[in-house]
Parts: sequence; structure tokens; C-alpha cells
Amino acid sequence: MEMKKITNERVKDSYYEVRHPSGLRIFIYPKEGCHSTYAVFGTRYGSIDSMFKRSDETEVCKVPEGIAHYLEHKMFESEDGDAFLRYAKTGASANAYTTFDMTCYLFSCTDRVYESLEILLDFVQSPYFTEQTVQKEQGIIGQEIRMYDDDPNWLVFFNLLRALYHKHPVRIDVAGTVESIAKITPEYLYRCYHTFYNLNNMALCVAGNIDPEKALALCDRMLKPSKPVHVDRIFEEEPKEIVQSRVEQKLSVAVPLFQLGFKEPARRLTEREIAQTEILLELMASDASPMFRTLLDASLINTSSFESEYFEGPGYSAVIFSGESKDPDAVAEIIRKEAERLRRDGIDPAAFERAKKAVYGRNVAALNSPESIANSMVSMTFAGRELFSYLDTLAETELADVQKRLAEQMLREYSALSVVSPIK
Amino acid sequence: MVKIEQRPVTDGVNFRSIQDTRFKTMRIAVSFLLPIQKDTAAANALLPFLLARASRQYPDFTKLSQRLSELYGADINADVYKLGENQVLSIAALGLADRYALNGENISGDLAELLCGILFDPPITDGLFPPDGFHQEKRQTIEMIDSDYNDKRVFSRLRCEQIMCRDEAFGISRYGTREEIQSLELPRMTEIWEHALKSARIEIMALGDCDPRQIYEDFVRAFSKFSRGALEKCGTKVIKTVEKARDVTETMTVAQSKLVLGFRAGAAVPQDDVVPTKLMTAVFGGTPNSKLFLNVREKLSLCYYCAARYDWNKGILLVESGVETKNIERAKDEILRQLEEIKKGNVSDEEIGAAKLSLCNSYRTIGDFLGGLESWYLSQTFCKNVLSPEEAARQIRVVTKEQIVTAARNVVLDTVYRLEGKGEDQHGNEEDHK
Repeated sequence: MEMKKITNERVKDSYYEVRHPSGLRIFIYPKEGCHSTYAVFGTRYGSIDSMFKRSDETEVCKVPEGIAHYLEHKMFESEDGDAFLRYAKTGASANAYTTFDMTCYLFSCTDRVYESLEILLDFVQSPYFTEQTVQKEQGIIGQEIRMYDDDPNWLVFFNLLRALYHKHPVRIDVAGTVESIAKITPEYLYRCYHTFYNLNNMALCVAGNIDPEKALALCDRMLKPSKPVHVDRIFEEEPKEIVQSRVEQKLSVAVPLFQLGFKEPARRLTEREIAQTEILLELMASDASPMFRTLLDASLINTSSFESEYFEGPGYSAVIFSGESKDPDAVAEIIRKEAERLRRDGIDPAAFERAKKAVYGRNVAALNSPESIANSMVSMTFAGRELFSYLDTLAETELADVQKRLAEQMLREYSALSVVSPIK
Repeated sequence: MVKIEQRPVTDGVNFRSIQDTRFKTMRIAVSFLLPIQKDTAAANALLPFLLARASRQYPDFTKLSQRLSELYGADINADVYKLGENQVLSIAALGLADRYALNGENISGDLAELLCGILFDPPITDGLFPPDGFHQEKRQTIEMIDSDYNDKRVFSRLRCEQIMCRDEAFGISRYGTREEIQSLELPRMTEIWEHALKSARIEIMALGDCDPRQIYEDFVRAFSKFSRGALEKCGTKVIKTVEKARDVTETMTVAQSKLVLGFRAGAAVPQDDVVPTKLMTAVFGGTPNSKLFLNVREKLSLCYYCAARYDWNKGILLVESGVETKNIERAKDEILRQLEEIKKGNVSDEEIGAAKLSLCNSYRTIGDFLGGLESWYLSQTFCKNVLSPEEAARQIRVVTKEQIVTAARNVVLDTVYRLEGKGEDQHGNEEDHK
């Protein structure tokens, strides 16, 4: 088992990468002087994986929506008690989250790190579901879903995804619906568990106060080798076109919220493309941009809520602008026109240089936090990217690359506006 | 290497630094503390936002933002919040440490200078701040109030506090009211700015990979040009008894109802020992092993979240939960029953041990975040002794079960607030496809 040391000269940090014989990819990023340790054990399995085919089977399998998230909740229980109860003895602060394309279990601690790591490795490898425990979770997750039903930011986002995507399961709520989760059984949970919680499909990342040798010795003892099964995600074909250009919902809000999305062809992007888009969004929409000023002076946006984001994953990618505004349609039009203007007149070189420095600085600053490091490394690993080479790519991005990238991004015909507005 | 220092800049202006080169960033935060009052709350709230948008050197919002971008995405953050019955107006500058600049720039020096320019040399002409910035910040402050309304969890917590403390200064919103902000006039802002520099208690912090001596000198120089006046007296009224608990139900079109129970905690700084109450709150509803999580959520499956939080500067404790309307009373009864359990002494050593470990863990983690360190020290502004996270963890470890039970017995229910959904059935995931 080879332990590869990866170093970045620009930020003067290093981490270790190991392909464990069990199939698991392990990343250990020690940070000298750090009080805390943050560990994430994740599987490349999220809410979009409701249809799949295993390499050792011939049939395509379809499961209820929201099951990855339900499984996340239920993993904390095992035959001999609750994982939280075990963590109570180490003092670690534990949690988990499910996204569109992954499920991650994590803890943060300042003491008894190897005991906590043992608990993490153990409970995620020990599924235990019964009719009764599965039943009990319906009420809790039901209230979690209800909570999101009142969350305008969540609703404006999912309404946008449903306006952009016809078929892709990214349009379905991560937690599913009260109806879909009612269909979840222990059998379904075991089926998904044994398919996706295969160490070949998973990654472990530990950052902060950690000794790589000790952590690996613990992994050797705890990891149970997995069969080399491969899983194909199956998505129905997604048209290039959007579903509808505008969607609106009324809610108990005081100020309207909006998200404007630009759908892009579905393919996994390279580090270079992501870096180019991150810089592009910075120069086009950050506080320092002329467009931001136009919107602010027209009282159309505010500094506390206006944001841009590159939202991308398996089979989906979109540039999204969001915020609060008294007139979302006017904001959307200004953004679309600004993209057209930049395509036509070209990007200002000074704005490009500033944006590049700002994006680079923020990415380096993120390396302060063990939490941010560990979470980024897991998601980048599943996407086939790497933390340090991304920093180098940012530093080496040229204006011409960004201009070229813009030619295929933020096109009017692929844009949709989602609005959540006050009940009159 | 970590180096902690503290020294006065001038009367009522305190400078604290935690120099630690393992951070890739630095942070300089300046906080003005003033008693929260009805007639000044709105104007005070506006001040940090108004200041943070320009300086005489960079009088234009976009030019200032561009300068920050050039400094590797540095940021000037304005904020306003309450600490007990005081309003904290905060402006922080954060940026990359000089070592990581691609072209050898002096980021921290430039940023400190920029921050001093913002605070001490705003673009005032003929005694007035620029009117366009003033109008934009008024509008944006009102939109922040709206944003609190949009988040029902935040909204119901603020409503409960407001109802519970309606006759106390704590009942005043950190932003003032919408009407008060709307009626602010421009000349007032210059007075407010001068008053803050002259009479507020001021806490300055320099954190992370930076040179605190240089920053300290910058502030000494800046303050030497302003004469400090009589310091505004900061204090907090703490109420420990309740004649009769209040019960308020409001309705709104929401899918999930919210329940917030407001208690008088019976302990607040500086006069009381708040450590046992902190631990008691963790046992009651502060962790996934707390009584509220294990019973209201896990055993009864009534909610997704049910948590207690203790404000030891004001001496109040709130329990928040999101539940179905039909389950509100069951949740309320169970929350109160769990508090009674602690009062009766039904707390196991395991529960106490878990709460202690959990609190100590969260304290020790604070040292890894510059923002966390800033709020850690600021929150102790009114304490008799200022403790490091490690010292605070040691205090937690020696709390006894008897102290926890006594702390719980001092907790009295003051206000029950319910935000009930109406018309739940028409609502939900439906969207309007037009």
C-alpha cells in the first residue's frame, strides 16, 4: 500500500493519498497547530441515484425518491445502539448530509480522535434496519420536509431546477416527498446500502490534527474489503432545452426572492472549465463589477443576498444567480444583457486580473478550515478533480480562456427565472 | 506559533491580538458597543453598513470593492447584533496573509490602512455622508428585516424574544423598526458616527497571520486625532422571576408550525456564575444526546429539530422546535416535562459526561477559526474574567450534578410563542406553472 505525498508549493501545504487494498480512497491532510480534526466518510451516492445498474446484475433497479437521505438518517442506528451515543463518549460533534450526488458522514473533535474515527468507520460499515426503526423515522423526516416547504430559498431553487430539467432527477427534492418516503422499506434500504456503500465507491478524508500512520493503521484494522462491483447511474435522456422560462410561487415572505439559471449541456467538466467559470462569475457579478453597481443603484438587489454560483454534477450543470429583489424580471434581463455585452465587447483585462486574484485568494483562504478541506476533497474526488491542482489551474487561467468559455455559457434561450413572491 | 496580547489604545478602546501564523488569513475587527435604545437603535444599526461602503480615499463603492478584489478577495464586513442590552456595531476586514500573495503584495498593511480610512475618514462633505449611499443602506437595512421574516425559524425566535422582553431594552430589534429606519435623516448619521467614535466602548481585535504591532500603531495614530468623551454606560437588566407566564399564538400561511418557549434562566453575567447553566442547557437541549433530542425528536418523532439555547449576557433561555399544528401541545408538554426531570435530579452521569465532552469539544474547536475567536472574546466583554477556550473548558469539567440541578431549578417559563400554520392543505410543494 503506497502512501503518496502531494505538496503544493504555492500554499506550502501537503497531504497524503492512499488507495487502500479494501478499495477505499483515503486522504489525510495534517495541519500543524490545529486543535481540531475533521473527518468525512462519503459515498458517491445521492438523491439523483434512484435508478441504477450494478455490474454483477442484468436488471436496472428503481427505488423510491428520497431514499439516499433516508438511508443517511438510518445509518446512525445499529444493532448495539445509536452512533450518537457512542460519540457521546468521545465528545466528537457528529453529523451527516446528503446532496444530489453524495452522502457524507462526518465528525469534528479535539480529543480521542482515533476512537471517533473508529466509530465512524464502524457504523458506516454496519447497516441495521428493521420495520420498526424505519417506521419511526417517517415522522422526523416528514417534519424535515415540512420545514423546507416553508424555506423560500429552498423552494425558489427547486422550482428553478424543475423549470430547467425535464427528466433529470436533480429536479426532485433531496429528501423526497412525504408520499415517496412512505414507500421506503428495510429491503430497499439494504439494497441501496449494499450497492452504493461499497468501499470502491467511497472516500475517506481526515484533515487537521491527525497522524497519517496511526489513521492508516486504524483503517487497516477497520475496513472490510468490498467486492469490486461497479455501479452505473442511469438517467433518462435530458433534452438540451429548458422546460419553461419562468416559474412563480406565492409564499409568506416579505420580499420576493429569485434564482436565474442558465442550463448547459450535460457533461462532467474539467478543472480548467470550472476555474474559468468561477473567474467569469466573479468579474461579471461580484461587488466590484459594473453590473452589480447598476443593479444596486437601481435598488434591484442587496449586498447581503445577491450571489452567483456554478451548480454542476453528474448530468447537470447551470450557472445560477440568486437574491432578493422587488423586481426579479428586471434583474434577470440585466444579467442576460450583461452576458451578451461581455460576449460582444470582450472582457476588461483589469477586471479579469482582479477577479482572478480574488478567486485565488478565497480558495487559498478556504485551506484554513479542516472542515472545508475535508468536504472539498471528498466532493472533488468523486468528480475526478484535485484540490491543489485546482489552485494552480486558477493561478494559470488566461483571459482568452475565460472569453472562450463565455461563448458557450449564459445563453438567453437556455435561461429560466424562478420567483417566490409574497402572498398578497 | 501563537502569541496573545492585550493593551489599551486609549480610554475605553481596547486592543487584543492573537497572532498565529498557521492561518492563511488575517482578520481585523472593530466593534463599537453602545446601550440599545429606542431612539438610537435604527441610526446605530445603519452606521456600520454606511461606513463599510466607502472611505475618503475610495469614495465610490465600486472602486472600494475593486481595491478589495485586488487584495486577493479581501472583504470588509459590516454587522450589527445585540450583546445583552447593548448594540454591537461591527466592521471587520479579512484577507489573505502576505505570504500567499502571488506578486509579493503587502495585503495586511494595505487592509489595515483601508479599514482605518473607512472608520476615521469617511467621505463626508459639508458635514454629510454621501446621500446615495445613505439611501441605499436604508433600503438594504429594511430588506434585512424582511429577510428575517422570510426565515420562519429566525422570525419566531425573534418574535418570542420581542414578546417576552417587550418592556425591556432587549425587546428592541437590533436594526430598530422599519419605520424608524425609514424616517432617518442624513445629518443624523454624522452625529451618530462622531458619537460612536467618541463615546462607545470599542474593542479592536487583530487575529491570524498578521503583524499586530503595526495594526496597533495604526489605531493609536487614528485615535490620537479624535478626542474621546464620556463613555456611554453599557449594562443589562436581568429579570429572574415571572408573575404569570404569557401565552401568544399567531397564525401565518406556513406548512410547519413553530413553537418557541422563552424562559428566564436565573443567571447572567457579570453577577452570576453562568457555567452550571451553560452545562445544564447542553444536557437539556444542546446536543444529539440531550433530553430534548432523545425524547421530543427520537422517542416521540414529533419534530426534526428541538433545541435549547442560553443567552448568558441577558439571562434567558429559549427552546425552539418545528412541529405539526396538531402536535404543538404534545411537544410543549414534553419539553416542560424534560426540564422538570432535570429539576427533580433525574440526570444520569452519562448525560452529564456527554454534555461536558461536547461543550469542551466545541470550545476547543473555536481556536481554529478567526471569526470564532473574535466572537468568543467579544461575548465576554461584560464578564468579570475573560477566559480562553481552554480555561472555559476546564471550568465546565468541574461542574457537579447538584449545580446542574440547582441551575435548572432557577429556570422559569416566561413566554410560550406559537406560530401556527393556516391553510396548510393548499400549501406544500405545489408550484404555479404559468
